[in-house]
Amino acid sequence: MSEMKKIKNLKEFSTSADRFEGANLLCPGCAHSIIVREILNATNDPVVLSASTGCLEVCTAVYPYTSWDASWIHIGFENSSTAIAGAEAMYKALQRKNRLPDSCEGKSPKFIAFGGDGATYDIGFQWISGCFERGHDMMYVCLDNEVYANTGGQRSSATPIGASTTTSPAGRVSYGEKMNKKDMVQIMAAHGSPYVAQVAPNKWKDMIKKIQKGFSTKGPVYINAMSACTTEWKFAPDDTIAVSDLATDSLVFPLYEIENGTKLTITYRPKNKIPVRDYLGAQGRFKHLFKPEYEYLIDEWQKRVDDYWEYLQRREEAGV
Amino acid sequence: MKYLGWDELLPGAILFSFDEEMEKDACEVLPENRPYAETNSHEAYVGDWRVLKPVYNRDLCIDCQFCWIYCPDVSIISRDKKMIGVDYDHCKGCGICVEVCPTNPKSLLMFDEHVENEKALAQWPEKE
Repeated sequence: MSEMKKIKNLKEFSTSADRFEGANLLCPGCAHSIIVREILNATNDPVVLSASTGCLEVCTAVYPYTSWDASWIHIGFENSSTAIAGAEAMYKALQRKNRLPDSCEGKSPKFIAFGGDGATYDIGFQWISGCFERGHDMMYVCLDNEVYANTGGQRSSATPIGASTTTSPAGRVSYGEKMNKKDMVQIMAAHGSPYVAQVAPNKWKDMIKKIQKGFSTKGPVYINAMSACTTEWKFAPDDTIAVSDLATDSLVFPLYEIENGTKLTITYRPKNKIPVRDYLGAQGRFKHLFKPEYEYLIDEWQKRVDDYWEYLQRREEAGV
Repeated sequence: MKYLGWDELLPGAILFSFDEEMEKDACEVLPENRPYAETNSHEAYVGDWRVLKPVYNRDLCIDCQFCWIYCPDVSIISRDKKMIGVDYDHCKGCGICVEVCPTNPKSLLMFDEHVENEKALAQWPEKE
């Protein structure tokens, strides 16, 4: 087992040599690459990566270019988790038979699968569930931008109530998406996973801590990373970090972790809690909610977020 | 670069990041010392995506590295805990670095793509 990379502060962190390259085709201001960089820079161990179909995959492997300076594989929409689980199983088998090449000696590669919320919440769910049941030593990172952004902004089961997407458009008769977001973090915790956490790129220190904790954990780790989408959430590209701040400070995306399926810890408590209204107001996909006839939905939002925060706090206090 | 047809690619459509095998993992080799293959997107250019470009003012910078961590395009060059400059081949001009810059006045500002960096530095705003 190699030593964990020590990251005391941002200056020290900035000496990392990125294993993710620019001139990928992600939109300007996309949070996906911020998350990927933070995760890959959190370790000095070799990494084995896979990506489900989604923005990250189609934009970082456009023929004839690859943006990855590490082993990376893409198979299908649903199976980044099983692809990386297969690689992990093969590695273990070779290790057991003493057939690993010499260059692998003394190294402990990290197996990481990336998927968008479409690949995680909908299409790849069965596969991820299988991987977590089998208990592979891997990390699954969901880049949660709450929409199928790659194909033009269709709703996914991560899309929250009231968001206008191309398949749940807001207009005269509808306020947009009608179903609430699936609580994927709790579902993955219910698999009995040793470590499950929700992270946000703007809280980089919290994120690095959780990623490193995930790396040092044996078994399947699930990370839900909030990824603000400038194109589909409809805000200016330079506001990515500002909108992410609004999301974490309004507690729409509370940052917490769950160990061994039960022990919940809240890792970030905003000093100044921001009303959910500010978070919604910063994004074009929610602008119809500010019409008088839909204003009641904002109050419902606030209540839902407050209730969930209350629930998290009660669980943390009870330690279950 | 010669584009290969679908039946000429290596089975599995494998693309290589580096031309030769490196002794160390890429995370221990700085980008300027890596043997990039021409199929690495590091060799590609997306500078023409920009309408506005960030201009960097060394005199005001406190090397907090916020721009480095939040840059989505690996375009902020930092070496030895010091911010050196912007990689204009890979910067798409999103402006996040300017937004997160904490100094007053900011040490990174967006200017029109056609303005020369020296001219931009000459018209830097005063402290508010």
